[in-house]
Amino acid sequence: MTPTSQAALLFPFKINNFHSGNQRATGFPMPVFLLGLLLSTAASLAAGQGLMRQVAETNVNQRYMVESVSLGGIELDHVETSTLPGTLRDRLKALIGQKCDTTALENLSSEIRRELHFRTVTQHLLKGSTPDRVKVDFDLVRGDASFEVSVPRLLYTSQEKVTGEVDANIGFRQNHLTLGAISNGDDLIDRFTGMTARFDSAALSAGKLHASLTFEDYHEQWNAATRDADDGTLDLYRSRWNVAPQLTFAVGSPVTIAVGASFEQMESQSAAVGSQSANAATLDVHYGRKIGEGTVQQRIEGKYSLRVATRALGSTYAYARHMISLKYEAKSGRSTASDEFIAGAIAGQAPFFDRFVLGNSSTLRGWDRFEIDPLGGSRVVHNELTYGYRVGEGTVEAFYDVGALWQSDRQALLRHSFGFGYRQGIFVLATGFPIREGRMEPVFMAGMNY
Amino acid sequence: MTNRISLATLLLCAGLFSTSLGAQDLAVHLDGDYLRVSLPRIDFLQGRPLDRLKDGGSVAFLGQLTITLTPTSLNPIARSVGRFALSYDIWEERFSVTKIGQTPDSRRSASHLSAQATENWCLDNLGIDRSQLPTDKQFYVNLDLRVEDPRDQPGIIGDPGINLTRLIEIFGRPSRSAQPRWLKSSGPFRLDDLRKTEIRGTRG
Repeated sequence: MTPTSQAALLFPFKINNFHSGNQRATGFPMPVFLLGLLLSTAASLAAGQGLMRQVAETNVNQRYMVESVSLGGIELDHVETSTLPGTLRDRLKALIGQKCDTTALENLSSEIRRELHFRTVTQHLLKGSTPDRVKVDFDLVRGDASFEVSVPRLLYTSQEKVTGEVDANIGFRQNHLTLGAISNGDDLIDRFTGMTARFDSAALSAGKLHASLTFEDYHEQWNAATRDADDGTLDLYRSRWNVAPQLTFAVGSPVTIAVGASFEQMESQSAAVGSQSANAATLDVHYGRKIGEGTVQQRIEGKYSLRVATRALGSTYAYARHMISLKYEAKSGRSTASDEFIAGAIAGQAPFFDRFVLGNSSTLRGWDRFEIDPLGGSRVVHNELTYGYRVGEGTVEAFYDVGALWQSDRQALLRHSFGFGYRQGIFVLATGFPIREGRMEPVFMAGMNY
Repeated sequence: MTNRISLATLLLCAGLFSTSLGAQDLAVHLDGDYLRVSLPRIDFLQGRPLDRLKDGGSVAFLGQLTITLTPTSLNPIARSVGRFALSYDIWEERFSVTKIGQTPDSRRSASHLSAQATENWCLDNLGIDRSQLPTDKQFYVNLDLRVEDPRDQPGIIGDPGINLTRLIEIFGRPSRSAQPRWLKSSGPFRLDDLRKTEIRGTRG
């Protein structure tokens, strides 16, 4: 307990108005300060990585063509399929016949180390069969198990403050166990905070099949706008947990299909309601491929997801949720253009975590989601158009979002927003402006992997 | 006691290593409008950096030439800093070097070099403009060369986010201080007494 505030000159934020240490540590300025510190450290490291990329780009061996790739001296074609994930194998295979990109080799070494749990992985170039070719060998030093702590996502917005996640990943024999702590005020209509645990098996059936099991346990915080909009017929649950087993099949190189189930239990704030469940069968289909290898690099990606909650699985809620997203991206020289379209519909009554939301860090940026619909919607369409121009190590971006969120018994209202930002690697700074009559209040966003 | 002996041994080794150029004289001369240095035998291409180059990788060296008024001064009156990216041609078995500038246009490169020629090229590209040298005072010339390990940073930031384990490893790694480094000081000199060589044409 501190009886008086610290000198204002030393602590210019409102933090010096808090009287107890607990408030000082958890009040708004401290997370923002810590976020700033982490982002500035990370940005400095990103700049260092940029320098190392520059160094790698000058490598004289880049003029040679890669003749073959081997892991620990074993040719890629002879490496057992069960020991190497399909996507990693594809990326290694893609090196063959291309010019030797030493930056890509550095990145692949890191990826092999992480994915296959080696202590160290270093790449070596060897003379090929003719004087214009080289062989690439990744030297592998085995570790029994790996342990890594990472921050996979981090976001600050002037509207919803901080969203973040910390993961601890334990790897053993290509199996992964990830334990996470998360506080997310961006994806859904509520802020959910809690723990996650996910087990991912090593590749099964010649690398074509993966099994996973996810457990989540969250506590919810509801915005005043959502509470006010609730007419008493909706359940603003105080906590929820979920168990979700899933099997993922690599059907072909560009297509993966995941089938599974989700057993979600919600504890209502009202003792009279008690606990409710949304037990569903799930299906996810993903398609992604590159088009052409010329001066314009294009990529197309499509996703479809379906959740069917049914009383046959003991669910209180019964509904079907469909969602589709399509993304096209083209890169040429310093320019990048992309367009992403999403559409979704829910048949039946879905709990809040499955309702659609617009007005967050990736949709209708600049809008306040609670102004669009404080209860979330059962129908959604959204399109995001982005143009980026590379400047130095980063990319300056401009975006235009348009979308509508509505209930099946109401009329849709199309909303627009625009904005600009700067992206460097996984870091992004952006400001979004809602296009509307009256006062236009922008939303500032700073984050990583958003 | 054992710890003290180990520490003393470590310091002695580090001292020997970091002053491995000590037995040689840092030759200082004027090349047109630039002060440059040379060493009869530099030999900084050795050990782990050389192994890495011969594996086809890239190695970055940070070079710094400073002018001070006393041999122990920490405040240089003039400075030239260069970052050199080295690689080794697997087929030709020759070195290639690039001085990385602020912009791609300001880069300078040389290739098909021997190890000795590569080392000399780096020193030749660390020049200090003579207008920055004191005309009425004696001064000392200091050379500092160190390796920037490219394996330090990949893996910290990537698609999976920030890897805190790698970050802690790097900030907590004691071997950082043991990375190869070469230091050499020479002096005192007076500008008027410096040997002048014919102009070789490179700047800075």
